[in-house]
Amino acid sequence: MYLVANIETEICAATSCKLCTQYCPEANTILYDNEAGQDQGFKYGAAYVAVDRCKGCAQCVWVCDNMAKHNAIKMEMIDQIGDTALTENVTYGEKTSSAVLANPVRGQG
Amino acid sequence: MSLDYVKFTPGFGKFMPKEYRDMVEHGPFGKKVSVSQVGTFKEILEEHPMCAGCAMTLFIRLAMVAFPNPEDTITVGTAGCGRLAISQAAIPFVYGNYGDQNGVASGLTRGLRLRFGDRPKDVVVMAGDGGMADIGFAQTLHSWFRKEKFTTIMLDNEVYGNTGGQESGMTNRNQVLKMAPLGKKFEKMDMLGMAKVSGCAYVATVVPNNPRRVESVIKKAVLVAREIGPSYIQAYTSCNIEYAIPTDKVMEDAKTVETDRYKFTEYITDEAKEYLSQLYGYKEYLPKPAAAVEKQ
Ligand SMILES: Cc1ncc(C[n+]2csc(CCOP(=O)(O)OP(=O)(O)O)c2C)c(N)n1
Ligand code: SF4
Ligand code: SF4
Ligand code: SF4
Repeated sequence: MYLVANIETEICAATSCKLCTQYCPEANTILYDNEAGQDQGFKYGAAYVAVDRCKGCAQCVWVCDNMAKHNAIKMEMIDQIGDTALTENVTYGEKTSSAVLANPVRGQG
Repeated sequence: MSLDYVKFTPGFGKFMPKEYRDMVEHGPFGKKVSVSQVGTFKEILEEHPMCAGCAMTLFIRLAMVAFPNPEDTITVGTAGCGRLAISQAAIPFVYGNYGDQNGVASGLTRGLRLRFGDRPKDVVVMAGDGGMADIGFAQTLHSWFRKEKFTTIMLDNEVYGNTGGQESGMTNRNQVLKMAPLGKKFEKMDMLGMAKVSGCAYVATVVPNNPRRVESVIKKAVLVAREIGPSYIQAYTSCNIEYAIPTDKVMEDAKTVETDRYKFTEYITDEAKEYLSQLYGYKEYLPKPAAAVEKQ
């Protein structure tokens, strides 16, 4: 098994930062959902990781901890991560994207 | 080479992979996208085999977002790490033999101008420091002296990364590498100076720990090359494998190197300034208003 990045929505959605989306070396990997966290009263949306594209470099962790200073990203074992975003479940909209969460090992449902 | 080439033949869309459909429907073609919007649209760069955490990968990703007209852009590359990613994007990629990239790009640029006239088709070379400053040195310099109108980008990781750590002309003096165990004996080559001497109209150095700046220099370099003359960008894109940088420290290294010896620099000719300000609204290059005459 291997490590992938996981973003804590509650911490990320409390900011309007978006920094890690610009620093992940991989394209289409850290995505942004403008509506994430709105049901909990957050208004800025949050970043999330399509874990099937993540190469586990942890650059985003450094950026979130040291540049954004929000400590919202942790590296987690892919089989321990629970439900998360996968490329096949991502939908792009007008200036946003969102994902139906699924388990990267077991698949959807 | 136009907006139409990415579209599906009617009726075939449903058989295409999801990533392809996303790219057609939510990619950057025909739209203005910026680095600040990444994560909300489908980028043209796809998965590729470059190493995890490689700064060169990040730079290539940002460059592709920054291309002013991706639907009218052709990239040219050569042997070396970068081509592993550059070739995996939804725009045409031409593979020059090792060192031939600026020769290939010269012919390509001229051919496109014959075929399409004034309609801009942007040619962008992206190659490693070895491919550009050593093996392709003559072709690079000659394309600049001939004032070939395309953009040259050096992915400067200061080593031959793809072949396991030989020194290049762009490696720093005294640097010890796996295949340079005694340390390099001469200074890093001044390719920026040579770009200016040989007539490039726009020359910049950049480090990818500042994504917005990468975006800005790429846009300017590509636009200048359309009409004014050759442009050259030299980007510090560390090799975390050969320089043993832990992947989560790659941006820290980029920051340190930028501060110490790879500061942002920009050189632009007056002609290029006038062109960017008149045609593309770059206010920073507008002639400064004459100081108001002081009342006596
Ligand atoms: C004519 C020729 N000579 C040698 C090679 C072997 N070769 C492949 S990649 C490479 C080095 C690449 O170094 P650089 O251009 O600095 O790019 P990097 O891999 O560091 O990005 C070499 C020597 C080749 N492919 N073709
Ligand atoms: S850097 Fe941290 S706070 Fe900022 S968008 Fe990324 S995860 Fe959210
Ligand atoms: S660990 Fe690396 S590849 Fe994965 S999301 Fe973070 S920056 Fe991107
Ligand atoms: S060998 Fe170095 S330059 Fe090449 S992909 Fe790996 S980290 Fe990047």
